[in-house]
Amino acid sequence: MDLNITASDVILLAHAAFGVSGIIAGLWVFVEALNASPANAIRLRTAAYLTAICMAAAWICGGYWYVNFYPAEKALILKGPWPFAHNIFMETKEHLFFVTGILAFLLPIATRETLSANSAARKLVLSIAAMIVVTGVALEGAGAVIDHGVKVELLRGPGAGH
Amino acid sequence: MDESQKLFPATSGFVLSAAVTVLFNTALAWAKDIYPGLNDAMKSVAGHHWTTHGVVDLVLFVGLGLIFTSARTGEKIDPNRLVVTLTGAVVIAAVGLGLWFAFV
Repeated sequence: MDLNITASDVILLAHAAFGVSGIIAGLWVFVEALNASPANAIRLRTAAYLTAICMAAAWICGGYWYVNFYPAEKALILKGPWPFAHNIFMETKEHLFFVTGILAFLLPIATRETLSANSAARKLVLSIAAMIVVTGVALEGAGAVIDHGVKVELLRGPGAGH
Repeated sequence: MDESQKLFPATSGFVLSAAVTVLFNTALAWAKDIYPGLNDAMKSVAGHHWTTHGVVDLVLFVGLGLIFTSARTGEKIDPNRLVVTLTGAVVIAAVGLGLWFAFV
């Protein structure tokens, strides 16, 4: 079987996979924080570190792909019927990603607090985890729109609309 | 304030730093869009404007976090207020980026 998978494919899919894993880990932190007790403190901190590690990996993979492979796809999107896939969705995604990343790096710091005894710290961790999940899902959705922006141009076939 | 409801200096310092960094991140995105020269200058630093932007954000987050921690700046703010500040900063940053690239 000839898989014909390029480095670009692997890196892009790794970016999305690490991003989804980071979102799930963030959701895990949220649930653990809702039920914060001395018994789940280590599990909660583990989930927080996992969130940060997954988002860092998504950052590195996504950044490498964006810098080295995206220009060809950008050109396709801009000459196709969905230029907004780049002009709105990619432009927003590439900058909003930094916000999610910063929140993910903040999470292990915030979970050093004793959440079971400190309601303010618990509220803080719940807020950070929730924002990671919400912005992360928005980023995944934007990624799907960008991908579709390429697809709709390729489906038109050579010479279409020119 | 009840001592048990206070945050560690590092926690409050880095929360404050995160709030400042996400707002700075959005302002820098706007500035790059307005001034192509800034985009080019950032490209010349690390090979791509996005790479430079990410490094600047990280340096700012860590740098301000360390400064706020050692100065105990975040400790002077009520923890619940810090939560609201961070959440507000993220909402402003996210909505600000989306609306900017959609309409400007």
